[in-house]
This record gives sequence, structure tokens and C-alpha cells, in this order.
Amino acid sequence: MSRTTTILVCCGTGCIANGAYDVADAIEEQIVAQGANAQVELRVCRTGCSGECEQGPIVRLMPRDTTYYKVKPKDAKAIVESLEGEPVKKLLYRDPDGVRHEAQAKNPFYGLQHKTVLANVGVIDPLSLDEYVAAGGYEGLKRALDMTPDQIITEVEKSGLRGKGGAGFPTGRKWRSAASYDVFPKYIVCNGDEGDPGAFMDGSIMEGCPHAVIEGMIIGALAIGAETGVLYIRDEYALARDHIQHAIDDAYEAGILGESIMGSGHKLDLSIVRGGGAFVCGESTALMNSIEGKVGEPRPKYIRSVQSGLFEKPTVLNNVESLASIPVILAHGGEAYAQVGTEGSKGTKVFAMVGKVKHTGLVEVPMGTTLRTLIYDIGGGIIGDRPFKAIQTGGPSGGCIPERLLDLPVDFDTLTEYGAMMGSGGMIVMDDRSCMVEVARYYIDFLCEESCGKCTPCREGLRQMRHILTEICEGRGREGDVELLEEIGAMMTDASLCALGRTAPNPVLTTIKFFREEYEAHIKGRCCPAGVCPELTSFRIDAPACTGCGLCAKACPTDAISGERKEAHVIDAAKCISCGSCREACNFDAVLTEGR
Amino acid sequence: MDKTYQITIDGKACTARHGEFLWDVAKRNGVHIPALCRSDRFEEHRACCRVCIVEVTVRGRTKVVTSCVYPVEGECQVVTDSPRIRQERKVLMALLAARAPESDVIRNMASFMGAGEGYGRLKPLDTGKCILCGLCVQACESMGTGAISTVNRGTEKEVNTPYGMASDACIGCLSCANVCPTGAIEYQQDEETRTIWNRTFPLARCSQCGQVMDTVDMAEFETCDECRKKAIADQLAQAYRFV
Repeated sequence: MSRTTTILVCCGTGCIANGAYDVADAIEEQIVAQGANAQVELRVCRTGCSGECEQGPIVRLMPRDTTYYKVKPKDAKAIVESLEGEPVKKLLYRDPDGVRHEAQAKNPFYGLQHKTVLANVGVIDPLSLDEYVAAGGYEGLKRALDMTPDQIITEVEKSGLRGKGGAGFPTGRKWRSAASYDVFPKYIVCNGDEGDPGAFMDGSIMEGCPHAVIEGMIIGALAIGAETGVLYIRDEYALARDHIQHAIDDAYEAGILGESIMGSGHKLDLSIVRGGGAFVCGESTALMNSIEGKVGEPRPKYIRSVQSGLFEKPTVLNNVESLASIPVILAHGGEAYAQVGTEGSKGTKVFAMVGKVKHTGLVEVPMGTTLRTLIYDIGGGIIGDRPFKAIQTGGPSGGCIPERLLDLPVDFDTLTEYGAMMGSGGMIVMDDRSCMVEVARYYIDFLCEESCGKCTPCREGLRQMRHILTEICEGRGREGDVELLEEIGAMMTDASLCALGRTAPNPVLTTIKFFREEYEAHIKGRCCPAGVCPELTSFRIDAPACTGCGLCAKACPTDAISGERKEAHVIDAAKCISCGSCREACNFDAVLTEGR
Repeated sequence: MDKTYQITIDGKACTARHGEFLWDVAKRNGVHIPALCRSDRFEEHRACCRVCIVEVTVRGRTKVVTSCVYPVEGECQVVTDSPRIRQERKVLMALLAARAPESDVIRNMASFMGAGEGYGRLKPLDTGKCILCGLCVQACESMGTGAISTVNRGTEKEVNTPYGMASDACIGCLSCANVCPTGAIEYQQDEETRTIWNRTFPLARCSQCGQVMDTVDMAEFETCDECRKKAIADQLAQAYRFV
């Protein structure tokens, strides 16, 4: 009897960058070189993102469930040799006690996750319709085809699904509203314009399981009565776009899309529109303008897209992750989906966790999981075990959340009550060496370029915020600056034209709210407590802590550090440009910072 | 007949038709709401200056809306100069004054709304009068020319011709300059030519009286309005000379 062993090679964008294709090629070569084993049928499967990007490329042997991390092409020989025997020890997960584990679930990064939307991402070949169907794909659609539009919408309402792009609008209510208009044609649009710095949830879903998004769109189209759908995918997501296009082509060929969906007589055409690289086109009405071929600026009208959206017809716009949740809801029922999560936020949420956390990557957890669990249990804590300072959630429109809020459940409502927000799922972890004023300036700088520039509050407010924040960071802060930032921010929140502008001041307002003393230190104390802003920071070496290893001297770009080997080094203040390279290089925390 | 609603604006009872914009209802009832990018010349409003913000309370919930494009769709109470609105308009005008440091209109308006002092910290642009209200673009579009548009995005946004080059589409009609609330669009004109948007247009002269009419690109007739009127009057007089 022959058994099948599948070698899953993660070919998500991150792993590809780390050489995953070479690894897959090398493993395939080794299988040929070592000769086919009559007992085992081998198959190399190039999957989507398996999650722990920072440990990639990741190779997983199924069904025995052995996961190898940081695999190099030269490891291929040992991996193929190990198929029937002992695993390759050095490539296995090593827990903090030094014990190696084979099974993926033994790695808390995976063990504590609750994969629903990501269930097939990293497990199946995204280019194979058969594998998606074998994994239970299109079961939800089959059920939906036996239901009336009203029944489909009721099922989605029961699930409690809310828009996972960040706004959290109930998906069922949006669909019911769009279904209620007797105006045709109607459109269903997928927002794949994910643009937050550090976020890659939607991209990974589209790359890793494109059929789930398409299935979600078909079900949505049936529910509202749309016969045309558009996937708006940002231009930078080349791989996601290729995979979605491949899946669309396969679905047409299999009769899942086109004139008669699975022979039901219902019609749906799907196509991709490439975004032009503007962050603002993630905003719903700017996105629709962009699809229509107009300038990607938000529309000023007070009218909802479900009534008058794309080409002024009723339109449902859903985020990628929301749409990918739909097949699960239809296949297993809305009530089953609602079992997970909190009172107001049902199901799971995918986060892209990056920054100063040990295990960066893509994680999916039930709504209501605390930030502490995410950062410390799944993420493994802060790199170098440094103190945690803040986590930036939700991208440029989001906020910076301090240590004291880490035990709050992450869902649509709780963080908002505390003046922060969950957002779309991008999370950037920061340690004590991050300056919150500088972080705010970074985001405002990003927005100065990415605002459409149409309305005064956003365009001019951002320009002046950038000016004031730069003054503060460069040591020219004045009394009253913080109050002026708050004044401009409050006006932007109320008076901006679109959601981008209304949330644009959030990075500034939340850092002022939670880290006001840091602003004060910059302005009154002429000191950057985190030691980041060069004009407000001087460096010195703590002689007792210095081991004289010389790493700092090597790292210094201006040769400002001198000292004998094994003796305390000294920084020449006249040559020092306060770049902080020495502090990064030091393994003994011997480089100290203070104001100027 | 359209559905109507009883609403209040600054405490004054007003009647609004379904879908009518708040700004228009206010104006009809003698309440002036300041606005910069709104013009009666156009049906569509860009709603980008945001100066016309007001507070609206619908079913007990109060929000800030842009009155030039906010349609009345039910009973509501409107306040056009609450402390919150006055404060936010003041900040808006301070920002615009820094945006258009050479505009007297904006400076006076900012000063009137209390933004004349206390905003020295804001960094003004080096020069300019443009507040990017976009009326010029609307005017150009309405002429069917489409020679100018907003270009770039974010803080770099500006009004210009494609690539800042002399535009073939421009006819030198000055609609953009005439509609501009701050006089930001400059042009030069002498006896022979008019120069605007990097392009110099020869001027057409009336074949009868020799007076300067418009640019050659936009001239529809060989004679000026006066001379044409006179010609028609002469024709009529000729036709009816026996009556």
C-alpha cells in the first residue's frame, strides 16, 4: 500500500524573498537523486504563507507533521533522507528550554492560533482548484445555491461577521441593505488595496487561498443579486494578483464562474482591477472612482455605496478577509462561526505582527485575545527581552497602545473605548528604544504623501502637523505645540472629507494621549528619552558595563569611539553624530543616552 | 410633490424639501454659512474647503457635516455657529491663511473668524493665494475644455495643466481666473496677446470697429457684440422700413 507524503514548502512573499523557490527546487532534485521509494509517493507543494515569516523558508512534512524552519537549499538532502526516519534536529523548533519539537502545534506561535480564514493558507497549493475543493472548498457556495438570498443574508447576520478592514460594519446588514434596492446592475467589490505599512494579511490570503475570496464574492453576489464583481488589488501585490487571476480562470473553466454558477442559472463575472499605488484608494469611494477610471479621490456625497456606489449603482464593498470568512460561515453555519469571539465581535481576526517582536508573521486568533497574548505568548516577547513600549495598531489611521492597555481584549469596540483602535490588523511592536514623537512624525509624513490632498483639514492639517512634529524632534519644540497639535487633530477628526482624513491625526492624538510626558521631555527637557532624535540625544559609554569588545567602535560611521581591547571605550562627542549605531551594536547595554 | 421637512437652523423654523442641501435651505431662510469652494454657478459641489461645516442633530445624535452637500432627509436641528463649529472653522481658516499667505481675502476672513492671532506657529507657504478649492477646474470642465486639473496628491497637490506645459486644450477664456475666490490665477494681457497657463494667445479684433474681443481660439464671430447688435438693428430697420 502506498502512502503519500506531501512536502509543503512555504512560498509566501516573505519566504520567496528568503529563497523558498530554490529550496523547493533542491528538494525536488533530491527526490529524483535519491530514487523513488516504492512505499512513499512524494509531492512537493508550494503553498501560500504559513505564518512565521521571520523563521522562513518553512518546510512542513505531512501527514507526519514535521516542521522545519530557516531551511536552506543545502538542507534538502538531509530533509529527503529524513522522510522515513529521524527528523533533521537542527531545523526543528527549539523551545526556550532548548528542547526541539517536531509538531507545528508545539510551537506556541502556531499552537495558540485559531486558524479559520487562514485554515488553508500554507496548507494547500493556491494554484490548485482541486486541492481547495478537497479541503472543503466551495461547500459553502453549494449550500448557498440551495438557499434564497434572504436565507444567505440571515446566515451571515447570525454569524455576527463585521468588516475586517477595520471599520467593523456588520456585513450582514450591509448585504441586506444592498439587496433591498431594486436597481440593477449591482456590483460586488473586493477591497484588496491593503496599504498600511507593515500589514500583509489580505495579501497573504489572496496569495495563499485565492479561491476562498472568490467563493466569498460569489456568495455575496448571490445574496445581493449582483452579476458583476471586481477585485481591486494594489499594484504592488503581483503574486496575489497572479494567484487570484489563476483562480478566476480555473473557476470559469470549472463552471463556477460565468453564465451559470455550478449549473444554477445564476450568472457572475469577476475581474481584477489593478490599483495605481495610492493609499487613499483603500477608501471606499476613492476606490470606486479609481475603478471607474477617475482620479482616486473620495466622493463628498452623503450617500451610501449600497445605494449608489460603483457607476452609481448599488454596490457592496467588502474587505478580503471578510469575504474569505464567508465560505466558512456558509459551510458550517453562522451560529458555529459566532461561537468564537466576543459579545460584539465574532469570529477570528488575522494580524500581521512585525517590529521588535521575536516571532514576526501572520497570526489568526479569536476576537478578544489580549495584546499581551499576541505579543508575549504567540510573538515570544520583545527582541533581546527589552522592555515593551507600545504597539501600533491599524496603520497610519490607528493608534499607539501603551503597556497598561495590553490586557484589554482586542476587538472592534474595546480599544476604541480607550482611544485606540484595532484597525485592519497591522501591528507594529515597539520597544523602549522607539521615540513616540518620531513614530508620530513617521506616520504623518507617510500621510502627507498619501492623502489625496482634496480637502483642507487633511491636506493642510497634515502639512502643519509634520512641520510642528519635525520642530519638536529637531529640538525646536515650543510650549503650546502639543496643544496646537491637539487643536488641529480635533478639527481634522470632525471636518475631513473621508475616513482617511478623519483618522489621520490618530497617530499624533494617541501618542499625545498615552505618551504626553515624552512630548514634554522633547520640548521642555530638550531630551529624547528613547535616544532616537539625534538633535536631542548624546551618547556615552558606561565604563563599568563596557567589556571593551570593540563592536561599537566598528559600528561607528565617524570613528568617534576609541579604546584599547578589553578596556572601556570612550565616545568623542565632537565627532559623534548621534546616529545610535553603537547602541545597536552593544551586547552589554553599555551605551547610555541622555539629553543634550 | 416633493416631501418636505420642518427643520430648525440656529433655532429658526425652516422648511426643507427632501434631498435639498442644508446650505441652500439656510440661504433661502436668510442664514449665511461661510463657504469658499461652493459656487451657485455649479450644480455639483466639491465640498473640499470644509468651511461650511455645521452641527446637525438627527434623532438625538449630533454630528459635524458639510452643509453644501449634506442633503436633508428628515427632521433635524442645525446649528451653524456652535462653539465647536466656531473653533473648528477658526483652525481651518488659520490653516488656509498659512496656505495662501498672499491672499487678502483669506487673511481678512481668518481674522474675522478669530484666527488672526495665536497661530504664528503654523508655517506659511512662501508665496501664493491658491487655497485649492478647485472652482477653476470646475469652471474649465464646464466650458468643455478641461485644460487644467488638480495634479499630484497630498501636500504636493496643485492646480496645473498636464505636466505644467502649455495646454492645447486651453482657449484662454479666463473662466478659471474669474471664478477664483482669491484671485490666485494670474494672467497678462497687452494690445496683441493674452498669456495664461504658460501659453500666449493672440487676441482677436472686431473686423468692424477694431476693438479687442477675446482670444483667437475662442472667437466665434468676426465682429464684437456691439457691432453685431448694431448690424442686426440695422437689418431690422431695413426690413421694417415701410411699416
